[in-house]
Amino acid sequence: MGWRLPLRSLWRNRRRTILSLLVIALGTAVSAFVFGFLENSRLQIQQSTVQEYGNLQIASPELWNSKTDGYGYLIAPAAAAQVGGLLAQEPGFRGSTSQLQFPGLLGTGRDTQVIRALGIEPGNPVLDFADHVVAGRGLAPTDTAAVFVGRTLADKLSLSVGSIVMATLTTVHGAYNASPFTVVGIYKYTNAQFEEQVVFIPLAFAQRLLDTDGVDRIVVSLDQIAETSTVAVHLTTGLAASGIALAPRTWDDLSPFYRQLASYFNALFAFLSFAISILVFFIILEVQTLAFLERTREVGTIRALGTTQREVFVLFFAESAWLAALGSASGVAVGALLIAAFNAAKIQWLPPGTIDYFTLGAKIEVGTVLVPFAISFVATLLSALYPAAQASRLRVVDALRVE
Amino acid sequence: MGSDSRFCHVRGRPFLEARDVTKTYQVGAETVYALRDVQFAALQGDFVVINGPSGSGKTTFLNLMSVIDRPTSGDVFIEGQSTSAKSEGQLALLRKTKIGLVFQSFNLIPVLSAAENVEYPLLLQKRPPAERRTRVAAMLSEVGLDALARRRPNELSGGQRQRVAIARALITGPMIVLADEPTANLDSKTGEAVMDLMRRLNEEHCVTFIVVTHDPAVSRYAQRRVRIHDGQLIEEDVGGLASPAS
Ligand SMILES: Nc1ncnc2c1ncn2[C@@H]1O[C@H](COP(=O)(O)OP(=O)(O)O)[C@@H](O)[C@H]1O
Ligand SMILES: [Mg+2]
Repeated sequence: MGWRLPLRSLWRNRRRTILSLLVIALGTAVSAFVFGFLENSRLQIQQSTVQEYGNLQIASPELWNSKTDGYGYLIAPAAAAQVGGLLAQEPGFRGSTSQLQFPGLLGTGRDTQVIRALGIEPGNPVLDFADHVVAGRGLAPTDTAAVFVGRTLADKLSLSVGSIVMATLTTVHGAYNASPFTVVGIYKYTNAQFEEQVVFIPLAFAQRLLDTDGVDRIVVSLDQIAETSTVAVHLTTGLAASGIALAPRTWDDLSPFYRQLASYFNALFAFLSFAISILVFFIILEVQTLAFLERTREVGTIRALGTTQREVFVLFFAESAWLAALGSASGVAVGALLIAAFNAAKIQWLPPGTIDYFTLGAKIEVGTVLVPFAISFVATLLSALYPAAQASRLRVVDALRVE
Repeated sequence: MGSDSRFCHVRGRPFLEARDVTKTYQVGAETVYALRDVQFAALQGDFVVINGPSGSGKTTFLNLMSVIDRPTSGDVFIEGQSTSAKSEGQLALLRKTKIGLVFQSFNLIPVLSAAENVEYPLLLQKRPPAERRTRVAAMLSEVGLDALARRRPNELSGGQRQRVAIARALITGPMIVLADEPTANLDSKTGEAVMDLMRRLNEEHCVTFIVVTHDPAVSRYAQRRVRIHDGQLIEEDVGGLASPAS
């Protein structure tokens, strides 16, 4: 019997077979498309999150737990140097940079805005935001009282390159301090709130204003995103062993948005997969039940000739297995075409809360098609169990009397 | 094969036997007796024609003899062995190896060609491909269908289909072939040809045939004639060894 009978039976009922294949393939294709789209979006967001936060950041637990009372969490130069030593031992280590953040007011003659000043190391490739520039330039290592502001803030305060602004802040010792700054450049960012609140100034100048030689965090860049958690574990033990009261936080811990989004995507895909597999399951169940019912006398005949119940089950199950394999495989092919067309269309989309359009895309790779393939395949196989079992359990004499 | 027909009429021990076989069906509250205390034994080389009107229990009898159904009481013996305690799997094995079946509506597998239909029982027996090919070719030529081997059932006439079915019944070399109204769906001329063929194969292969029919014309092929009436078998005298032709 082997493959001959199941395939011939499928071929004999071409219309029904094609209908079944369409259902399975469509389910697989939609699932592969959605999965590819979500995966592509997730990776884009992952990449921009890592760009914004680095792979991980090292800071005092006090800062991480927001139990900040003053500036007790600052990292002294000696500790920073020790961290540098630990980092240098990590195989995937690419670079690090120090930051010092503080709140303040930024004002022109007319307006004042609450801002978060971010002291960064100009020219440090780990995170200097210079590639986000839309006017002027990013911060340079020789800059002192220079500020690099966001597009939204620049609009609000009517700033342009060369404008002078006044920053007001509190030093680490609680004293008021103020300094004029020259706007050297304007940056854009995907997040409007970030553009409005965060301004960049040179780290050394920030330390001078706050009257400290400390930094609040060390941002670490690694070669691979996948290495992040391993390095974080190494660092935790390394820091503890060296008696440094600092702790690493990974990019996905730092960005609750990414975590939420990723779990939302997972839930969305799980729901969709479930709905599709239920649909495929019941449609194929219905179709195969009908198809097998029509062949009751054929079952009676082959049983009378000595085919065992098990052999009948295998015969009918094999039919559905072919359907499952052919349907799911063509579904992957259709999904791939769909994704190729979608990517070629380069559809622009403005995500809520952002100010720049970005191009929609979907990913197609083994990982994104394997799951949809497996889901349709298994749903079809499961739907075949009952009709095949029914066919194998027919009473031979009754089956033979069916006209 | 052809010339040892004398051997086929030698009466050996019965290898298909019904003892006190009763079959009842429950129809609502009523118990219908399809067969009542039937005694029957088929001997090697027998060509038995069981004649009876519609509803007299012919199909029920054949189903029990071909062990696709079990009697309500009594027992069916194959080669002297009781079948009442056998499992479904063991009965399937008996059908696969010892019994050939021919049906009123041919019951060929529509998606398989004539040759593949004949090959099917050999596939069940997991015979090697080369053996299957030679045996199928020989069998098809014996029933005169060599030229139509690749045709599907729906491309064959009724008579041709029944020949395919007979070839399928004989391909495994069974001891006995049970045929349920094999000519009922054929015109009388084709029916005669099919009966001639079965009679010939009976003699050439020493295979026992039991043919049930409601067509009295078929009875003339009988070497042993049995009437079935109200679920009871009545042996009729045909006066010794009848010849196939009247
Ligand atoms: N599954 C069944 N349920 C109830 N009655 C049945 C069943 N099968 C057969 N019968 C009855 O048994 C009797 C014999 O039937 P059957 O063996 O088919 O006769 P035949 O083949 O001679 O026409 C009939 O009265 C028929 O109605
Ligand atoms: Mg009948």
